Amino acid sequence: MYSHVYTMASFRIVPDNQPKTAQVQSKNSLGLHDTLEYGPRTIQAEAQSEGGLRSRLESWEETQDNLKLNMLRNVHGLHAPMRLLMERRIVAASPHMPALPQSNIHLDILMGRDETIEPGDVFGATVSGPPLDIHKDMERKLRM
Amino acid sequence: MAATSVYSSPGFDFSNQLRNNFLTEKGLPLPKATSTGTTIVGCLFEDGIILGADTRATEGPIVADKNCEKIHYITESIRCCGAGTAADTEFVTNFISSNMEMLALTHGRKPRVVTAMTMLKQYLFRYQGHVGAALVLGGVDATGPNLFTIHPHGSTDKLPYVTMGSGSLAAMAVFESGWKANMSREDALQLVKDAISAGIFNDLGSGSNVDACIITANHTEMLRNVEMPNQRVQKEKTYVFRRGTTAWKKENIRDLIVSEDVTPVGTEAMDTS
Repeated sequence: MYSHVYTMASFRIVPDNQPKTAQVQSKNSLGLHDTLEYGPRTIQAEAQSEGGLRSRLESWEETQDNLKLNMLRNVHGLHAPMRLLMERRIVAASPHMPALPQSNIHLDILMGRDETIEPGDVFGATVSGPPLDIHKDMERKLRM
Repeated sequence: MAATSVYSSPGFDFSNQLRNNFLTEKGLPLPKATSTGTTIVGCLFEDGIILGADTRATEGPIVADKNCEKIHYITESIRCCGAGTAADTEFVTNFISSNMEMLALTHGRKPRVVTAMTMLKQYLFRYQGHVGAALVLGGVDATGPNLFTIHPHGSTDKLPYVTMGSGSLAAMAVFESGWKANMSREDALQLVKDAISAGIFNDLGSGSNVDACIITANHTEMLRNVEMPNQRVQKEKTYVFRRGTTAWKKENIRDLIVSEDVTPVGTEAMDTS
């Protein structure tokens, strides 16, 4: 028998201040430090100092998105956010090679950013250089 | 399976943060950004809005630009004056201007001042005041003339007359004693010029000339350098050296072509017509 525990749905508008913990940022798919790719573990790389603004910016969109999805769930039922998330997941699974300039206009339309300009567009949000990321992207692609 | 994120990245790269924190702890100060220690004002008059600004940009104690433009374009009938870090005000106003244009094209309507204000305040709040832009936003839209002030942390005020920047107290003193409701265009323009001049002459961070912008329902007039009370005095003597002032002892001309030998290739001569 399952015990039905309802966790509080988060209605935060603004991301929470994450507590300062030493997190493994260089995780591989098993959740451990990936020595092959990043080298031996160092305390300096793990100690997160001044993560305040960075973590706030990185989780900003996600937090507000969660708010809207939670509201949709409470008003219309579980199917409403579920359909939206399903559509996003379908569209985000791009069959193309993970070559560097990748744009997903369908995903942009679903996320509502097809008719706005964001700082990420202006400052070149693409991740740095092909050599480091191809392995991860190919792993991701071939596991699908 | 690691899923690609559906969210767009914030656009800033924090990879140097660890290094920068280490350097500041060791005592190396971060480079100073160009600031617009400024006087910017806005006031409501009978036909619309008048915005005013000085034209000095400072870099610490040094004047970086003697005649910079602080009244930025948002849309045809909305303008924004910016105080604080010059790069931040420039970027934020450009960014909001682009988004307002996209909005106008999407909806087919002229955008409103409150829209620009909301976009600005949400952006500035997201960055927790690190984007150092204190703005005076004014314009005339379908609902009438609107004047707002936006602080770097994202708070806003809707007022009939506002001042921002380091010279705001001097300018506000002029406004408080001189502003009346429904002023005429000439009176309002003179009041704005007086307020900016008060900031220019009493605040070290403001200086040079006065810019103004008059926005009415069907026309926007940009008065660049409407008053120039700090022009440089004409020098009394000329300090140009006459030709031959410096004596030269030796002249040596080296020809780049040491020897030239023309050999025609082919049977005919080259056709240079």
